[in-house]
Amino acid sequence: MMLTRVNAAFMPCLLLLYAGSGLAAAEPIAAEKFAAILAVIKPHDGEGKWADLPWLSSLWEARRQAAVEGKPIVLWEMDGHPLGCT
Amino acid sequence: MVGRELTFGDKHIQRFLKDNFILVAADDWYQRRRRDAEGEFFRKVANQGPRKGIGGATRQGIYVLTASGILLGYKNNQDPAIMYDYFRKAHQAWRSLPDSEREPNALKVGDSGKPDRAYHRAPPDGGLIVNVYTRILDRDADGTCRVGTCRFPGGQRASQDHLWLTKEDWQSLIPATPRQGETLTIPERLALRIARFHLVDNTRGEPPFWSRGQVRSGGLKITVTKVAKDGIRLRVDGAFLLADGQDADRARRGYDARLLGHIHYDPAKKAITRFDMIALGDHWGEGPFTGGARPGRSPLGVAFELAAGNRPADRVPPQAARDWGEYLAAER
Repeated sequence: MMLTRVNAAFMPCLLLLYAGSGLAAAEPIAAEKFAAILAVIKPHDGEGKWADLPWLSSLWEARRQAAVEGKPIVLWEMDGHPLGCT
Repeated sequence: MVGRELTFGDKHIQRFLKDNFILVAADDWYQRRRRDAEGEFFRKVANQGPRKGIGGATRQGIYVLTASGILLGYKNNQDPAIMYDYFRKAHQAWRSLPDSEREPNALKVGDSGKPDRAYHRAPPDGGLIVNVYTRILDRDADGTCRVGTCRFPGGQRASQDHLWLTKEDWQSLIPATPRQGETLTIPERLALRIARFHLVDNTRGEPPFWSRGQVRSGGLKITVTKVAKDGIRLRVDGAFLLADGQDADRARRGYDARLLGHIHYDPAKKAITRFDMIALGDHWGEGPFTGGARPGRSPLGVAFELAAGNRPADRVPPQAARDWGEYLAAER
């Protein structure tokens, strides 16, 4: 198991870079707000209904299932995977 | 990606598709390039339609086809009424085919053979898949975050991607002999993978990623918060300043984020059972395919959580994994 101890030079230098950037660093995230922020960011009920469909991610597997079940295939082909990416 | 909600979130379309079709989604960037049986099959189908990929052009769209490779329809539209009509007509075309094309088990689909490794991605053996969600936020006066508002259609929705960790990556997060209060740095290759490829605004389309040089400062550390028989608790803290100019104040695009997370490790299972992390800070600017950003600097949140890993969608590769070597070695 690989273990990396704190490199004492690493984080402080990075924080110094913040101080020297002329840009106020983002506020620390309050521990008590963690769960609420996580919940706001994640998809909510009713959001992403398209994902309720039984999508496959392999065209070959879709061919195989379509042949077995005797059904045609809908292929949703996008630049950037429709089930991920954006 | 507002179109996916309009078409594939429509309850009438959903019912019709579930009852009558096998559904598959794919990234055209890989599909149109891969030199293997699946790629050849896709191009054979696409060449029957309007998107022939001349000069390597995109072939994106929504195809209806048979298992043997007959194209029954092609359309690239977001209007649910148009798409419902399209699917119905394509299914009528299917019903007019001979039984040899339609009867269950009438066709035999063999093995696809070896995939083209240059254009095929699979989650690393023994690795972890982490869902990544990104959303624009608004911040109240007391600092409370809520779903952001914007003029871009659908821009308030959570986008999604996956973070892949190799077995070596996730093992590097767990001390061999953990002691409460002990701190570790997350190796640069993983910390910078998270920063460069996942602290991005992909809420309006395919985002530009951060180059190594655009990581102006930052890092992640882990603190052991509890060591017990039932598991080890770890907290992740960190920050990243990402900007496309050396002076972040003048940069056209940037993200100034803090991170906080919680990881649980079960020694009995030798597995990470929780990986929850958030990044929160102000983002500004846009990329070539993410136009319509809110003006100025505004809050953007990124959430990470362990994926179940048992759905085909869980295995969709990270968007940045198109450059596989750089994704795994983000520190170079």
